[in-house]
Amino acid sequence: MSKHDDIIERMQESIIEAEEEDAEAAAEAALAAGMDPLDAVEKGFAEPIRNLGEAFNRMEIFLPQLVLSAAAMKAGLSVLEPALKARADYEASRKGTVAIGTVEGDIHDIGKTVVIAMLRSAGYEVHDLGADVPMPNFLQVAQQVKADVIAMSALLSTTMLRQRDLIELMEIKGVRGMYYVIVGGAPVNESWAREIGADAFALDAFETVAVLNARERLESSNA
Amino acid sequence: MLNYLEAIKRAETGPMSMSDDFAIQLIAKKVTELQRKYDIRYDPDVRVNTDDDLADRVWQAGRELILHTGLFSLNSRRRIMFDEQEIDETLAAVRPEFTAGEGKDAAHVYRRDVEDTRPPVIFGGPFNADVHEDMFVKLNEAFASEPLVDVLLLPGYLKNLDGIDIRPNSGLSTRAAMLYGRWSREAIDRAGRPGMPIVGHAVMALNEIACTNEEWGLRKNDLRAYAIISELQVDDVTLTRLAYYHAIGSPVYISSTPLIGGFGGGPDGTAIIGVAAHVASVMLGSHVMHLGPQHIQLKQQTNAMSLWMGSVIKQAVARNSKMINTTSVTTSGRPGSLQYIYEFSALALSVVTSGSNLTGPRPAEPLGWNNVSPLMCRLFAEVGRAAAKLDREEADRIVEALHEKYKDTIQLKDAPKGLSFEAMYDVNTLQPNEGHRALYMQGKTELRELGIPLE
Repeated sequence: MSKHDDIIERMQESIIEAEEEDAEAAAEAALAAGMDPLDAVEKGFAEPIRNLGEAFNRMEIFLPQLVLSAAAMKAGLSVLEPALKARADYEASRKGTVAIGTVEGDIHDIGKTVVIAMLRSAGYEVHDLGADVPMPNFLQVAQQVKADVIAMSALLSTTMLRQRDLIELMEIKGVRGMYYVIVGGAPVNESWAREIGADAFALDAFETVAVLNARERLESSNA
Repeated sequence: MLNYLEAIKRAETGPMSMSDDFAIQLIAKKVTELQRKYDIRYDPDVRVNTDDDLADRVWQAGRELILHTGLFSLNSRRRIMFDEQEIDETLAAVRPEFTAGEGKDAAHVYRRDVEDTRPPVIFGGPFNADVHEDMFVKLNEAFASEPLVDVLLLPGYLKNLDGIDIRPNSGLSTRAAMLYGRWSREAIDRAGRPGMPIVGHAVMALNEIACTNEEWGLRKNDLRAYAIISELQVDDVTLTRLAYYHAIGSPVYISSTPLIGGFGGGPDGTAIIGVAAHVASVMLGSHVMHLGPQHIQLKQQTNAMSLWMGSVIKQAVARNSKMINTTSVTTSGRPGSLQYIYEFSALALSVVTSGSNLTGPRPAEPLGWNNVSPLMCRLFAEVGRAAAKLDREEADRIVEALHEKYKDTIQLKDAPKGLSFEAMYDVNTLQPNEGHRALYMQGKTELRELGIPLE
């Protein structure tokens, strides 16, 4: 086994074992060995976490492992980030930035936790605003982190109305066109998303990734 | 013994933690450890557990879990901790029965044993479905007119008034909460059961306190519901309502929906959390503990894992405590379909033979307003009464046969779309229409053929 293969294996193991320190150390080893950071990320981090995501979907692993593995990947990526950013093709290669939260008045966040883990595992930069998020906070954070996507979760049919209100606020502030808005949550469906003018609805975490990946492909082909 | 006021104080003084740390470091890791320690494993071939020792081990593990984690207060980010003596004393003092409602319409609400031959208490009603203001009284009157429904359950979300959507904690939500109380009382009055107890939860956040009024709203002998948030969490709104309900003397109905596939892992680990949530509910002064054995991906409660987990948790609680407990039944198939009948019958058989009362049924994903049926609630109650004549082995066999009938269409997108109340009933006479009566008869015939001893 080559030295590079050995490092890739260490990176993969750090994700499967959900060990943040090991992920950081393996990422440092990849840099020290002069590996292509993009290639290292794809083979060492993205591939195993995609597999874990699929295993979660089959209920072969459960939420704690997915969350901890996504955290390990985030730690490892932070080591590789400067080298990734230094590449000329970084902007073209990176996936979008997502600002996500559960809307105001709603304190449920397990569904959102799953979505975040799956998005991170799919290579998105995710900023979690938490639960019970006031409308202006979505816009402030989205602006701060230069988000491409605003994702809103709501578990109650009373609080899903806040999804509509945020879109209305975005229109009033003249920023609606700056963000792709995706909505989800137990009472939310396709027709509600259409009614309130969201760009997309996702039934679950997997569909969220699929919808955003489809959008990425469309943006790339239009670029 | 813990006083609920002490629990509320501990939300301000307990050890601090971050939400993610609570879920992962405290709950998930401890559940894994307890699963090993007590050898708790899911058997995918079993629908209704018959292993008493397993039920007792799950009880021990759940008790140990709540001692380790406490309840997490989302707003103060502090943990409400309990010690062993407090838990033992509080469990010893639990009331195994009480009377809800008043006069001739009062309901005797009681705990049940595993394979108890007494019929389950039926908490039946719209169960927080979206109920349109135009149909609120009629729909609840139809439920209250069902003689087997003991307690009118959660009369429904009033999502808007006069065409305006209601924002929780707004002035309009206070108005809606008052109408919720007023219209719920009107419904039981019109049904000729003015003393019938109601489990109320107007879903107006803090403002739902406004539906309380002895003369026209929810009375102090009605039950008031709120939820322990998954997993093992509470918030300020919950604790505020708790303080208020205790102060006015209302019995408290606490629900928990431990998520299979969530921080507890599979149905085995999640069963431990389910027991912990029951113990935590008692520590907060609950009178009735409601379990929703929810699946994180299927988003409903009649899948194979939920059937098994529901039976295990209910047996653990029934065998080891005097708690009055009930189980909610949330299905993929919707009212107006045979699948709805198969699903609610399966979970009803599983948990009634395991020592539970019954709450529901309802579709997990209602399509539009008023997507519930009082006639189906009647059949649900009849199945519950029949289940009290079965033992767990008999129930397991029938539940497996029922599960076979719907397992291939259990995904919400594949499940029958069902009908609204207006499409199943004559809304003037409040009687089910011919088509809906035929569905009821067909379902009942099939259930009898499977061996359910329906009267």
